[in-house]
Formats: sequence, C-alpha cells, structure tokens
Amino acid sequence: MKKYKVGLATSALVLVASTITVVGPSVVGLTVANAAPSQAPLNLANEQGALWSCAFNPFVPASLPYSFGLTYESLDFVNALQNGKVTPWLASAYAWSNSNKTLTFTIRSGVKWTDGVALSAADVVYTFDLLKKNPALDLNSVWSVLTSVTQSGSKVILNFKSAAVPYFFYVAGQVPIVPEHIWSKIANPVTSIISKPVGTGGYIMSSCSGENIQWKANPHYWQKADAQIKVVNMPSFLSNNTCNEYLAQGKSAWGSQFIPNIKSYYVAKKAGNTYWFPPVANVVLFPNLTVPGLNDAKVRQAISYAINRSTISKIGEYGYEPAGSQTGIVTPTFSSWVSSSATSAIGSSSGYDTTKAAAILTADGYKKGSDGIWAKGGKKLEFTLTTNGGYSDWIASMQVLSQQLTTFGIKITLQTPAANTFYANLYAGKYQLAYNAEAGGPTPFYEMRQWLFSKNSAPIGTAASSNWERYSNPTTDALLAQYGTTTSVATQKSIVAKLESVMVNQAPVIPVLEEVDWFQYNPTTINNFPTSTNPYAQPGLYNQPDWGYVLDKLAPKA
Amino acid sequence: MRFLVRRVGFLLIALWAALTLNFFIPRLMPGNPAEAIMAQYHGRLNPSSLKAIEAAFGVGGHQNIFVSYVQYFADTFQGRFGISTSYFPVPVTTVISRALPWSLGLVGVTTILGFVLGTALGAIAAWRRGRIFDNVLPPVFVIISAFPYFWVGLLSIWLFSLTLNWFPTLGGFTETATQAWTWGFVGDVLWHSVLPAFTILITAIGGWILTMRNNMITVVAEDYVTMAKAKGLKPRRVLWQYAGRNALLPNLTGFAMSLGFVISGAILVEYVFNYPGVGFLLLNAVNSEDYPLMQALFLLITVAVLLAIFVSDIATALLDPRTRSER
Amino acid sequence: MRFLRTFLRGLAKSWEFIRRDKKAMAGAIILFILLLISAFPSWFTPDNPTAYAYTPGIGLSWAHPLGTDSFGRDVFSQLMAGTRQSVMIALVVGFFCTILSVAIGVTAAYSGGVIDDVLSLGTDVILVIPTFPLVIVIAAYLKGASFWTVVFVLVITGWSYGARQLRVQALSLRNRDYLLAAKARGESSWYVICVELLPPMTSLIVANFLGAALYAIIAASGLQFVGLANVNTQAWGTMLYWAQNNEALPAGLPLWALAPGIMIAIFGSALALLNYAFDEVSNPALRPVAKKRRKKALA
Repeated sequence: MKKYKVGLATSALVLVASTITVVGPSVVGLTVANAAPSQAPLNLANEQGALWSCAFNPFVPASLPYSFGLTYESLDFVNALQNGKVTPWLASAYAWSNSNKTLTFTIRSGVKWTDGVALSAADVVYTFDLLKKNPALDLNSVWSVLTSVTQSGSKVILNFKSAAVPYFFYVAGQVPIVPEHIWSKIANPVTSIISKPVGTGGYIMSSCSGENIQWKANPHYWQKADAQIKVVNMPSFLSNNTCNEYLAQGKSAWGSQFIPNIKSYYVAKKAGNTYWFPPVANVVLFPNLTVPGLNDAKVRQAISYAINRSTISKIGEYGYEPAGSQTGIVTPTFSSWVSSSATSAIGSSSGYDTTKAAAILTADGYKKGSDGIWAKGGKKLEFTLTTNGGYSDWIASMQVLSQQLTTFGIKITLQTPAANTFYANLYAGKYQLAYNAEAGGPTPFYEMRQWLFSKNSAPIGTAASSNWERYSNPTTDALLAQYGTTTSVATQKSIVAKLESVMVNQAPVIPVLEEVDWFQYNPTTINNFPTSTNPYAQPGLYNQPDWGYVLDKLAPKA
Repeated sequence: MRFLVRRVGFLLIALWAALTLNFFIPRLMPGNPAEAIMAQYHGRLNPSSLKAIEAAFGVGGHQNIFVSYVQYFADTFQGRFGISTSYFPVPVTTVISRALPWSLGLVGVTTILGFVLGTALGAIAAWRRGRIFDNVLPPVFVIISAFPYFWVGLLSIWLFSLTLNWFPTLGGFTETATQAWTWGFVGDVLWHSVLPAFTILITAIGGWILTMRNNMITVVAEDYVTMAKAKGLKPRRVLWQYAGRNALLPNLTGFAMSLGFVISGAILVEYVFNYPGVGFLLLNAVNSEDYPLMQALFLLITVAVLLAIFVSDIATALLDPRTRSER
Repeated sequence: MRFLRTFLRGLAKSWEFIRRDKKAMAGAIILFILLLISAFPSWFTPDNPTAYAYTPGIGLSWAHPLGTDSFGRDVFSQLMAGTRQSVMIALVVGFFCTILSVAIGVTAAYSGGVIDDVLSLGTDVILVIPTFPLVIVIAAYLKGASFWTVVFVLVITGWSYGARQLRVQALSLRNRDYLLAAKARGESSWYVICVELLPPMTSLIVANFLGAALYAIIAASGLQFVGLANVNTQAWGTMLYWAQNNEALPAGLPLWALAPGIMIAIFGSALALLNYAFDEVSNPALRPVAKKRRKKALA
C-alpha cells in the first residue's frame, strides 16, 4: 500500500472503447442518451482502498473525496500551485476590513442548485451555521477562529476573533456550500446518507454503487463554457496495484497514483501517457524535543547534514519526490519565498555534508565511541525512528535514512507500526524520531505554522493537532501571529524568511523530501489538463476542491 | 435425543463464548475510529473536531465495560450492528450485504467444487492404488496445494493476464459496467471470476485429494470392504457405497467448516484480484480499525462456522453410529 | 519412558521409509538444504541483502543470479537471508501446534465425560473464530512484533483444527477391541494412550505437524505479504510485500516477485512430500503398494 491512497479522493479519466465492447449495450446506452456525437466517458483512476459509500456528504471524511469540488463548490478557489492565487467561485468578490478581522463575501447571482433553486447568501450562512452546530462536520475548525457569520442582502459577513488573513484559505477555499432548502430537512446531518446530492457543481451524480460512481455534465452549470466532458466514471479500487494496471492499460486518461518504474510501466505503454509531480509540501523528520539528545539543536542540525536526501529520494521514491531543504520551502512551487540568507547559512553543500555534521557534534562536545556511535557524557546518540507502516515508500525511504545515520554514528532503530498506532503516538508525543507529512497550504506559511506554532502543540500524552515535536518559542509565535495581520505579500515574504532562519538554525523539524501531487494524464483526446506551465489547480484527484475544478475545465478535443 | 440436546447445548455455549471473545478482541486493539479519521486528515483536523467525531461514533468517554457488554448482546440479537466508520455513515449491514454475494458466489462455488472433485479424485486414486493415476495425480496436487495461494494468484495474473492477455486482471467485473441481470453483465462477472476461482480451486483441491485418499486406503483394508468384494459386488458399488461413504466421514467436519468459512471469503485472493468480497472488506476493516464492521463480520463468520459444525456433527452421527455411543 | 521408546522406534522406522521412498527422500533433502541455509545464511549469501548497492531492476546475470530489485538490492541474497525466518516460523509453529493438538484432542477423546465436554468446547470455540481473520486482527495489533509473538499468534489459532481431527479419530479408536483389551488387562491410561492409542494415529499426528507447519509458512507469508508483519526483517513473505508494493510483475521485474513464492512453494512441497512417507510408517494399510507392484511384476 502506498501513501496516497489513504486520504482523499478519486479518479482517472479513461477512454474506454475496450470496456464498452466487453460490457455491451448497458453502458453504451447511457452515453448515447447524452450526446449525439458519442463522446467516450472519462474514467478516473485514484485508489482509495475502499468501495464507495455513496453517501454524498462533503463534511464527512469517507465521502468528502467524491463530493466536494464536483458536486459541492466553495466560495473561492485558492490555488496552492500559484502562491495562493484566488479565483472567485460562488462568491463573485471578497474584501477584508476592520484590521483584517472582518471578511465580506458577495455571493454570485445567477447560480442555481442542480434542482433549479437559486443559490443565495442564506445558503452560505446556513452552511457556516451547520458547521457551528455540528462540530463533527467542521473538519477545518473554522469556528475556532470565527465569531459570527451573518447575511446582508447578497453579502455574507464573517467576523473573526483576531486578524485572520491566512484563514481565508479555509473559509473561502475549503468549505463546501450546501443548499439550505435540502439540508435543513435532514434529521441528522452527521449520520444521514445523502444519496441524491444537490450542489452547484458542473456535474450531477447519475448513479452510484460501491464499485463505481457516474456523473453527467450539469447542462445548467453557471460556468457556461465548462463541464464539457459528458460522462465521468470513477471506479473504486481496492489496491494500488490494480489501479496502476488500469492506468497502464490505457483505461484511464487521468490518474493520481504512485507508479513504480513509471517510464516503463506507464509512459511507454501508450502514446501520450504523461506524468507531472508538482511538489506541494514537505515530508518531515519530527525530532521529539523532549527527548534527551534531540532537545539539542546541534544534534538536530547534525542529523540534517548527515542525511543524503537525494539518495533517499532516488531509492525510496524512484526520484519522484525531490530532496527537501532545511529551509522548509518547497521548490519550485514556492521558489519566490526562498530566503538567500537562510540558504547561505546551510552552505554550498545543499544540505548534505557529513564532515560538517561531525564538526557540529565535535564542537558540541560529542565524541565517537569505539562502536562508531557519537556520545557525550556516556549518553550515546541512539534513537528509534517511527513511520506509518501502511506506506511502503516511506518505509523504504526511512530504511535508507536509518542506514545513513547509523553509518554516520547516530544509531537508528526503525519501527513501522500500523497507521493508527503511529498517529496516536505521534500526536501524543510518544516517539523519538517520526517521519510524517502535513497538508500544507497555498503558501509556505501554512506548513511553517503547523510545525512551529506553540499553540498547535500539547503536553506529552495529550494529542497535538500539529507541532508534534513540541516546539515552543515566543519570538517565533510572534512572527507567525504577525503574518496573519497582513495582506501584503512582501511583508509576508519577509516574515517567512525569518522563519526559514529559525528552521536552519534550530532545526525544530528536519524536512527530508518534498511531497508531490501524483498525477498521470493522457492529453491525446482531452485538452486543458494542468501542466507545469499552466498549473491552474492541483492535479491530484485527491485534492478537494481542485479535482472538481479541473474536471470543469477539461474539454474533449474536437 | 440426549445426543441432540448435548449438541444444541454445545452450540449455545460456544455461541456465547465466541460472542464474548468477539466483544473483547476489537477492544484490545489500539486507537479508535476517530483517531483513524484524524489520521486520514494528516493533521488538518483539530482536537475539538476529534472530540465531536468521537461523540458521533459513540466511542468517546469510557463507558462501563459491563454496560457495553450487555448492550452488545442486546444489539447483536436485534441485528443492530451500528454504522461503519470507514464507510461512514453507511450501516454495517448494508456494507456487508454489498460484499457478501461476491464471496458467496466465488468462494462458495469453488469450495463445493473443490471438495467434490478432490474427494472423487482421492477416492479413485486410493482405489487404483499403485497405478499411474495414483502415482502421479495426488503428489502433483499435494505439491500445488503447498503453494501460497495468494502467490498462485500473482502468478496466474502474470501468466494469463499480463503475458498472455487471456483474462482480465482485476475486479469482479468491468469497472464502469452497469450492474444488472443482463447476459452481458453476468458474462462479464463470470469472465472476471475465472482466474480467482482457478487460484482457489487449484490450491484447495489437493487437501481433499490427499485426505480422502488416505482415509480410503485405511477403509479399503477393513473387513467389511473385503467382505463386500468377496460377495462379488460390483467394484463401483463397493467403491462409492461401502468404502467411499465411510472414508468420507472424517472429511465431513472439515468440509462443513470450509463451508462456514465461505462467508469470510478468500481474503488474500480477493486482495490480489481486487475482488469486492467479504475477505477484502475484512482486511479493510482491520486496517481502518472499523470496529462495528469488524465485529459484525466476525460474528457472521462465527455463526456460520458454528452452524456448519453443528450440522456436520448431526450428519456424522447419523452416518456413523459409533461416534454417537457416548459412553 | 515407554512412550519415548515407542517414539524413537517410530523415528527409526520413519527414516527407513524415507530412505525407500523417492518422494519422501526428495522432501527430506529439500528440507535439509533449507535448514542448512537457515543455520549458515552467510555461506549462501554472496551480497549484503540490505545494501542498496547496485543498479535497480537488472535481470539475470552472473553477478546477480536473480537480478536486483527496484531498490538496487541483490534478489538472490535476500532470498537466502530470508530462509531462516520463514523456515523457523513454520517448524516452530508446527511443533507447538502438534503438541497442543495431541494433548487436547486425545485427552478429550480418551477421557470422555466432563473433560471431553470442556476440552471440546474450548476447541470448538477456538475453531469457530475465523483463523486467518483473527491472525490478521492480532497481527495488526502487534504490528512489528517479534518472531515469537508471531509464533504465539499462529499457534493459538492453529492447533484447534488438528485437535478436533485427532479427537474424532481417537473416538473411533477408543472402542476398538485391542484398546478395550489393554484396559481390561488393567494397564494405566498413560500406557493405553501412548502405546495403544497413539501409534495407530501417528499418520494423522505427523500429518497434523506437517499441516500446521504448512499453515504457518503460508499464514506468516500472507501476513508479511499484506504488510502486517514486521516489513523491516528478512523473510520470503516480506520480499513479496516489497515486490507487490513496487509492482514487480507489471513493472518488468518478475523474478523479484516469483522467486520468494517459489521458495515458499518448494518448502511447502517438501513438507507435503514427507507426509507421504510418514503416512506409510504408521498406517500398515498404506504400505501394500510395493507388494502389489512386486506381485504384478511376478505375474
């Protein structure tokens, strides 16, 4: 099992001439009904390791992946691949006021729910109220920062407890808006099964079984030129292998898979098969700062210099996930945020320099023992390293990293527990070194805040939402708070530059590789896939709402 | 009658014990479903949402274990298995009922087929002891049945699907097909079941051949068989009605059990072939720590096996009075 | 003491039959070779099996008899290094399962009454718990567990089938004349069980050992294959896990995925072939083959 199957989403577009011949008239009938010049349905290939629950609730983890983006839409679209560029969606405009403590959305007119009822500002207010009343649905905890959401004509006004610029991403970009006239009749919005979803999106769910979900284009979609693909299928895949094979056999034109040996396995199999893995976040080594040895910034710096990230990338990830940087900035996605002073502090070695690592430890009072392990005052540098036992590529990466550190003289014992045990221990701080990734966000700030904000942490034994290493520094906290008060990109960049220096000098966490969006596509018969030159949305099918917005933009070739 | 009462008593006690184990085993597992969901979110979920989700699942707080135990029995007997956490908010019974027909069809048919074929072949091999049939067939199948069956699945995918392109590789049917009782769809399903069925059959049949052959050899040496032969009965009649019937008895329990286990599907074969049956569902439930789903699946399999054994005991007693004479 | 003598006599007889039976001999030789590799893996391992030292994904060559995997490790060396854990799990589990099966199954059948009721009930309860699903659940709980923990899990889930089978056979033997005669002579229960009851059951007991060992190697490999065992150790099932997760078959590295399976199959076959000989040792009825052949030759 590979990592990306776990969380969110779905799909791959497939041109399925071959499938149709096998199945016979039933599938053909569906397509014919819709379009005169028969257009092949688009099949999506994204393994989720489960059959579909067919409960189209965009606030529930099991069904969010196939609900949010395609059926339900957000107020704005915030694109992480373009430094958080905002595209107005269900809100035609937004404005900050009151020292960035009030956010006003103007709700777009002329948008209709798929049952014909018009979208109104009341629906938006209802949606936020729904999250307030049912915290189990508030997956991004927007009510931890909101104080009120009110309507004023076609406007919706959000008031925050404090300046909340970074929260725009969550309230505008990550909250799916649902229709009040439907949802207010649902007895229990947490547990009810919504089998006929009504949204504003470009596609209408036409059939759903555990094995496949089918959508048809919404003929009355508010973005008139969009939703050109007539039929979209999303089969469920129970394992990575079968999904990869589906892609390799050319049954899907859009996949989000980790494919080993991708050139021979996928690219070479069919003309047009292409992949693009844009980096979006970091995969990080979390040192537990309460563990003796790891509480020493010098030791953490030495670890950072002693690991050869490009070898780990090459062996553990087939080179798909590029080497990360101790600055914490994901490149090339966020290249414009890289601070030159932070990179020069790392040195010319681009972060791998065992001589420097040894010098740092020696200066810190450590000596290498006869067993080849560094020690100070009889305390050896030996740690356990834990990673999610469900992700074989992470395990492979950590096997390489363990060998590197052990060779250098920091003895590592690798543990690969079950996912839930791993997360429970990580959250509670019951580990020494741990390897994990977080969701990131539309600018590098989001990861920095997850790593470094002391309020995200918790005492050992209590689950922390992030900052699992238990880092706490008032100066850093002040920097993070300051970012939230400004909408000036230049000021934001200068703040992030200071945070990069914190990363390099204190190494609270150690970025190892860059997490990428898995994306395979075949543009032979379909136009407008996101590319490195036109990264208009994250292309991985497990990104909500991005995948839905990409589907809106795709168009068959004439 | 006394025998019957004993067996029914056993059935009830075993049922109770199994239910109790079934209650405690999932509770020995670490973590809880809310944590599993939080895990899926890579830290996007904050602890207050976690608490709310725990409340929704009813797993937060520490309920008195005795109270939950009683509640568990009450729920079980009323068929209330709760809501699946990995397919939230779909009820467990719905999730299982979707997967069940696939396993019943694939594993049920192959189990019966394997038993019938294996027993017949084993009996014939023993009857023709020393001839070429007996010298070649059982050893070949014994070796094949020693192969790891999931690997046989991998091998047949590689050979028949990837290399020769004879059969589809994965799934129970063509991914985007509409499920209906049409010839096209049924044919598609059968077409997809060939490789997994072949995998199960070829690895399961050897066991039946060997045990039947060995039982048969023992039985053939018994006096009453010699007697039957001496009486000049047709060999075919002696083979099936005298020797076969008695040699079959020890295998009946095994067969009953494997019938009971049909319900659990063939976990690894379903995993390898992406087959949407109960076996894969169970693996999935364990991986995602879906307590309600796991418990219901365990219960289902447990009851099925128990009943199967009960029936086999009765059948054995009817066919072989010796096992009935208790003391 | 008497039991030990009976047992040793049984072993000596077994060896006689293995020597005569080609199939059993083949099984014994394979088993011996695998045990040798388990005992001295370094003799057979040309490369460090965990070193990411070579070009990934190369095919057959003199330097790498089975090529390398997609991490650049030598496949043949991994195969040899993985032998120890895989073989040991099977044999150790087989041994403990057999002890438990015999003790519980035969005791229940011989004693009858309340003891039989209690033991049978226990056996039935363990039996009705779906074994492999249970193993998966416990393995998920004990992920990354030690060798002995895996052994423990497989033993507690693996003995019941044998115990039930043995009980059934012992029940049908219990009322045989020679047993009743021994009892009538006033022999002790130990004597009756060890000298009269067990020897005719040797075939089934050994079959149970071999069956349990087979169950263990396949269940353990299955756990390793789906990633529920410790994937950082060297074993055949673990190799299958890595091959499967890196899609060795479709990615054009079939040797990586096929070789460990073949090793498991060879090992399993050795156990099965041996079964033949042991059946013939204990069950006189199984022997006449040779005689028959001779008769035919004479005729």
